[in-house]
Amino acid sequence: MLETLITSALLAVVGIYCVVVKKNLIKKVIGLAIFTNSIHLLLISIGFREGGIAPIITQANLVGFAARAVDPLPQALVLTSIVIQLSVTALALSIAILAFRHLNTLNTDKMNKLSG
Amino acid sequence: MLEYIISILIVSSFLMLVLKRDLIAIGAILVSFFMMVLLFFQDQITIVRFGGWVPPFGIVWVMDGLSLFVGLLITGISSLVAIYSIKYIKERKHRFYTLLCLMTAGLLGVCLTGDIFNMYVFFEILSIASYGLVSFFLDEDAIEGAFKYIIIGSFGSSFILLGIALLYGVTGTLNFADLALKISHSPVFMIALGLIIGGFAFKAAIIPFHAWKPDAIEGTPTPIGAIFTTSSSAVGVYGIMRILFVFGMIQLNFALIGFGVLTMMVGALLALVQINAKRMLAYSSISQIGYVVMVIGFGTTLGLTSGLYHILNNALIKGLLFMGIGCVIYLTGKENLDEMGMNNTPLLICMGIGVLSMAGIPPLNGFVSKWLIFMASWEINPILTVLAIIASAITLAYGFKIFSSIFLSGKKSSGEIPKIMLVPVVILTILCVLIGIFPQLGLNIVEPAANALLNQNQYITAVLGG
Repeated sequence: MLETLITSALLAVVGIYCVVVKKNLIKKVIGLAIFTNSIHLLLISIGFREGGIAPIITQANLVGFAARAVDPLPQALVLTSIVIQLSVTALALSIAILAFRHLNTLNTDKMNKLSG
Repeated sequence: MLEYIISILIVSSFLMLVLKRDLIAIGAILVSFFMMVLLFFQDQITIVRFGGWVPPFGIVWVMDGLSLFVGLLITGISSLVAIYSIKYIKERKHRFYTLLCLMTAGLLGVCLTGDIFNMYVFFEILSIASYGLVSFFLDEDAIEGAFKYIIIGSFGSSFILLGIALLYGVTGTLNFADLALKISHSPVFMIALGLIIGGFAFKAAIIPFHAWKPDAIEGTPTPIGAIFTTSSSAVGVYGIMRILFVFGMIQLNFALIGFGVLTMMVGALLALVQINAKRMLAYSSISQIGYVVMVIGFGTTLGLTSGLYHILNNALIKGLLFMGIGCVIYLTGKENLDEMGMNNTPLLICMGIGVLSMAGIPPLNGFVSKWLIFMASWEINPILTVLAIIASAITLAYGFKIFSSIFLSGKKSSGEIPKIMLVPVVILTILCVLIGIFPQLGLNIVEPAANALLNQNQYITAVLGG
């Protein structure tokens, strides 16, 4: 539990650093993806239980199911969030491609609005 | 009924892509507006339980006074924008209307849902549609604005997700009413509260988080600028109010007052120095949202009423000014104030009323809410009233700058504005004057919203007890 928390905090720091400091549009998108994934890791680890079983009821694990199964809700949340993240990343990358076609560069220092 | 409104919007947005008939989208948005008006006459909290699950487990949609108020505003502005865009958008119309439907659905979903993760999902639907609309023209301005908006906007929504993760980890529930019962004032809750409010502050463009807004609005089609400055900001403020409501923290809050005053003053000063008309209006809307955030921080009945009233008036005025400026841009193709000369009597009257109303000149609607704001802030601290009046004076200055550079510069441009583009502008002007003369009209919509915010128990019993 503690390991995943530390990992997710480290990933979040890397992601934020990447979005704020890097000048390349693609690297900013990568940083955003890392940051969001760190939150996904945190969410998953919230529902995790040491030695837990998959949250699917069968005849075999009927007894004491609630006490042993991991929480399925965070997994559903993360699945939804991954889909959202996918579409945002796709849109951001396609806009980065368009920006490259217009300006012939991916460096934010050479753009009017993104340099600030 | 609530679920049908959103289904109509989402289904028609996909139909638009296939069938490419503009009427589908315009019809869907108008129908959603009329359904919201019908719901207005139902005097109780409407609840939809999806799949018949009992509230803390399943997703519920709850419509109380506050959601109804914001929903009416969103669908109203979207209908006017849909009518206006028939002529304004000349190419790739079906894509524009697809995104417009999707954006309206997202905006409505955020304020109708009673489940915090569901709110995040609709918030993302809204954001993705907005990113698409900002980049719609695919020119240099649009692309750079859209990229900036995507990075800052997704960063903001990630904070909301992080807050939700923390809340779920501590309470094990996502339902607003159930959360309200389980919340205490321990540090984890306060961190989650700060993160979620921060996320919504990106959308409402409160000053340290405002950087995306002027750039995005400069690139976007002008009618969408009207949605950004009205409905989008309203939804951002709605998110802040709803989360404070869930935490039972509608009370005197110095952080909100501080950010509100900062936003109000800096936004007005930055608006003064702009040369691009759309950027100026963007900063102006940031400044007006600052007023709203300040009075929400008071936590009093008068404060909330005046804040919500100001959201309504800001929506009417900014909608009017954006669509008016859109008419000028449509004819001249110029966005800089120096080059925007124009000579058209109906537009002159409408824009004149809009500018005077924005500055808060007495017989118009801007005055009503500003007067209420002055009274609410006088109760807390007279210094705040003085600051609000100063910001209001600056508003008059830049409002006059817009008006004079368009209509008094002596330049005349040929061509005629299409009638259908003038219709929404005239409707909004009439509403501005009507609400100014009969303030009770606006109060009838706003007061139930303010009461709903102050009555947390009623919400909890309606969702969990019924």
